[in-house]
Amino acid sequence: MTNLPDLTVGIGLRQPHYREVFERPPALGFLEVHSENFFLDGGAAMHALERARAAYPISLHGVGLSLGSADALAPAHLAKLKRLVDLVEPALVSEHLSWGSLGARHFNDLLPMPHTREVLALLSERVDRVQSVLNRAILIENVSAYVAYRHTDMTETALLAELARRTGCKVLLDINNLYVNAVNFGFDPVACLAELPPDAIGEMHLAGHTAADGCLIDTHGTRVCAEVWALFEEACRRFGPKPTLIEWDTDLPTLDVLLDEAATASSIAHRTVEVAHA
Amino acid sequence: MPELLDTQQAFAGALQHADETARTERWLSGDARLIEQRLAIYRANAAAAAAKALGAAYPVIQQVVGDEFFDGLARAYQRVVPSTSGDLYDYGAAFAGFVAEFPHTQSLPYLPDLARLEWAVHRAYGAADAPTWDGRALAQVEPAQQAALRFDWAAGTAVVDSRFPIARIWLIHQPGFDGEFSVDWSVGESALAAREGFRVVVRALGAGDAAFIAGSLAGAALGPAAEKALAADPSFDLGQLLGRLVASNVICGFNTDKDE
Repeated sequence: MTNLPDLTVGIGLRQPHYREVFERPPALGFLEVHSENFFLDGGAAMHALERARAAYPISLHGVGLSLGSADALAPAHLAKLKRLVDLVEPALVSEHLSWGSLGARHFNDLLPMPHTREVLALLSERVDRVQSVLNRAILIENVSAYVAYRHTDMTETALLAELARRTGCKVLLDINNLYVNAVNFGFDPVACLAELPPDAIGEMHLAGHTAADGCLIDTHGTRVCAEVWALFEEACRRFGPKPTLIEWDTDLPTLDVLLDEAATASSIAHRTVEVAHA
Repeated sequence: MPELLDTQQAFAGALQHADETARTERWLSGDARLIEQRLAIYRANAAAAAAKALGAAYPVIQQVVGDEFFDGLARAYQRVVPSTSGDLYDYGAAFAGFVAEFPHTQSLPYLPDLARLEWAVHRAYGAADAPTWDGRALAQVEPAQQAALRFDWAAGTAVVDSRFPIARIWLIHQPGFDGEFSVDWSVGESALAAREGFRVVVRALGAGDAAFIAGSLAGAALGPAAEKALAADPSFDLGQLLGRLVASNVICGFNTDKDE
């Protein structure tokens, strides 16, 4: 296991970019992959991950564990994640503050949770269990949401801060998700940053979204917008630089576009460090 | 305050049936119209995730029927067989049976067999890497013991039989295929799907080769498997087949234990 330096930028590694990344490895601090794409016994994908791992620290980002399911945590899914974590020895392991399955049905999505004491208690128990099975701390990410619960009585960031305090997990702060929700539900995202202790932040995510019918949708299919870059800069000023990732999943562009976004993230992070030390 | 389980049950119900949205209105913010509009985003997400996973497992069928039709096919499949796992590599196992029954694909009678072949290819893709071995050990087996040999097959190896030329159809739809596109529809094919290194290969097999491999994969010893192969095709050439399968490491070992 490697510890990532705070001032480091990575990209989500997706299959169409494998060859280019392996043949001329770009200057990146780490690569992040979706854990579920590597729950395989062997083959080309596992070989690619092995090559990526030889060249870069790896972050395993889960999208299917459904930590917030009210009924149960899927033991088979957790066992597959454990096998992968033991194999890869990643720098980071993360999941989401969300649910995606109930009973036998899986929606393969990051569905929002109400932010209540009940949910905090459930997630604390789940995160404890996952960390004990994986034998390491994990990161939990805030999600984009399109509906909100009337009985929510705290912000998602306040819930994450308390979850981190109780379980020792870190927060994966997705700046785009925070911005998307601030627009969708009309709150001040900067006030949310103030609820997070700098030490609790283990990674930040940056991605693009699209607008439809007065709602921002987290599509990971465009460049990071100006407002999200500004919020990222504010986060860097408050928390200091943190390992930061460019995520892009739909309408995947050329690798150079991702590297260009990563360079922008890096220059913003450097700028905030220089200002802080000036 | 509503219980989490109750809210998730109602939420899940509303994602599967739009007419159940009203059950969520008591504790989701906004008016009925807004809630329905927003839940529709999640419905579309779930449908897109499952359709994408299905397309990843069945890229040839997607090409054959076209993206738009495939999307409709995927939606219909999800209504019958929804995703049950956070690991979408497992999604689509029942697709061959589904397209066999689906009214709008009856004009493509080869589709179910093609689906079975694509699922075999999909599973071989992520199967465990075969151990490497020295195939020359096979030549050292005493003649008296040869008939009792059982082979170890690379994980994911499968034979799919069809009265349609499914291996040929699969081949001409591969990215980068630049050969002749003609298909002889009068020929049925048994297709081998197997991992050779990290690549999944599909090959049309002669009747004898298909019978031998299928028998051996099912656990038959060399002797009985070869007898079946000769019955299927009197010109079956065991030596040539074994040479090929050992060289490509699709046969990745053997044992001579009679008890197995």
